Amino acid sequence: MSTGKLMARGVADMRRFPLPQLCTLVTVCMVALLAGTGLLILHNVQQEVLKTQAQARFQVYWSASSNMTDVETQWADLKRVPGVAEVSTFTPRAAMAELVRGLANAIPAAPAPAENATAANATADNATIADGTTVPAPSPNDLSWLEGENFLPPTALVSFDIPPGEAPEPWMGRMYARLHNLPGVEKVTYNAAQLSLATGWIALIQQAAWPALIFFALVVALVVGNTLKLMMLARRDEMEILSLVGAKPWFIRAPLFANGVVQGFVGSVLSLVCLKFLQTWLRSLLDVPPLFLKVEFLPAWQSFSLVFATTCVAGLAAFIAARK
Amino acid sequence: MVHLDHVTCILGGTQALNDVSLHVDRGEFVFLTGPSGAGKTTLLRVLYGDLKPKGGSAVVAGVDLMRLRSSGLPELRRKVAVVFQDFKVLPERTVFENISIALEVRGVPSASIDRRVRAVIRALDLEERSYALCRELSGGEQQRVAIARSMVVNPELILADEPTGNLDADLSRHLIDLFKQFNTYGTTIIMATHNREVLSWAPEARQVHLVRGQISLPTAEILSGAECVAARRGA
Repeated sequence: MSTGKLMARGVADMRRFPLPQLCTLVTVCMVALLAGTGLLILHNVQQEVLKTQAQARFQVYWSASSNMTDVETQWADLKRVPGVAEVSTFTPRAAMAELVRGLANAIPAAPAPAENATAANATADNATIADGTTVPAPSPNDLSWLEGENFLPPTALVSFDIPPGEAPEPWMGRMYARLHNLPGVEKVTYNAAQLSLATGWIALIQQAAWPALIFFALVVALVVGNTLKLMMLARRDEMEILSLVGAKPWFIRAPLFANGVVQGFVGSVLSLVCLKFLQTWLRSLLDVPPLFLKVEFLPAWQSFSLVFATTCVAGLAAFIAARK
Repeated sequence: MVHLDHVTCILGGTQALNDVSLHVDRGEFVFLTGPSGAGKTTLLRVLYGDLKPKGGSAVVAGVDLMRLRSSGLPELRRKVAVVFQDFKVLPERTVFENISIALEVRGVPSASIDRRVRAVIRALDLEERSYALCRELSGGEQQRVAIARSMVVNPELILADEPTGNLDADLSRHLIDLFKQFNTYGTTIIMATHNREVLSWAPEARQVHLVRGQISLPTAEILSGAECVAARRGA
């Protein structure tokens, strides 16, 4: 009998032992789900750190007297620099509007004047300037007087994804020099401390990822392996009889191997389906103010690895169990 | 067919077989008798390679058991079929599947399997139950399935360990007749039993008596079957 037929028989024979098969499938699915959940957490923590903190941000200030046409040309050039994630630009006018809006939000709103407020009180709040003219005091909410005296320079907030393999600090030093050398640029600041912290976090996550992956792989291997071995007890008589009638080891093991592979594959695919439900639920739970955490599903390669690893472990465990 | 010389076997720390020598020729019918615990089952287990002897020399169907590795076990078991008291059939498979499995492991083509299995099923009067699951069969029918499985491959040697132990007298008689019938076709049969009635149904068979792991009758130890028959005739 060919190996293919033996494998097919192994799969067909699964229906003969529905309860042990079902119990094994549930166990494989739950263990793979546990491992998948761990991977999901790791992946999302890393994504969140990368998204929120791991970008190099440069605030570039041009001279207030710069020609805006030249500056705008430079902004357009900046957007084409490799690795640029985002460029937010502020003309002096836009910067002033932003400042006004920011201040307006920062200063508490003034209470509405009472109808019986006295003129004396009103005069007391006014200011008298050198030529004796009295000007009305501006309302804390009315900052329009600033717009006529715009002292703000054109600025740009440029965010970069640090190229893979580059050490953040030297790279940032080079980029700082490049931005600083742009014509008309007066000052450049950047988030070195924040980036350093983020880099530290990412390094920590990556360091934790390997032990976690090994741990999950071990859990999957041990639990799935032992569960399949237990399932094989249900087929012990069959193995014994096959051996008694002169079956070669491969004749006995191939169907059991196929059984294990199917269990591992179906169990891990089911676990991914469950994981998708879990991710959707977590997303709806966490993507609300003030968290706004968008829980992402595992990337394709991790999903594939989970299915592949579980299938291999299950097949191997069934094979070994049959040997014993 | 069977050549055991001074075979010893230790099982669970006790000497289950002690200096056993036994020679069985092709086509012989041999009863292994003796009380429970005498070593009958142990001797059969040695013969089908389930236990490795500790000492002595043992050759069964041309296979040297002292040098037998696990990879060589299928070769031995394709020559030696075994029937057990507890039948050892697969309850969730049909009669046909239980019998055909012995041919499938040998790689026999399916057309040939079908023909041979049907022939054996007919010979053992199991035609009506061909596609019944074995768990639905009576004890006698299950034992016939086990015998059919061992006979369908036309083995050189059949080992039977108390095959009538769970059956009533009529069924036991019928099974012994079946074994005798296959024996007349040239199959060597070694059957362990402690049932004297069974022994009386095959008086021509040689009897080898085991007590405490040793063969107690010197004639059985020394003489082969042919010599034994000649000795009987002389007597």
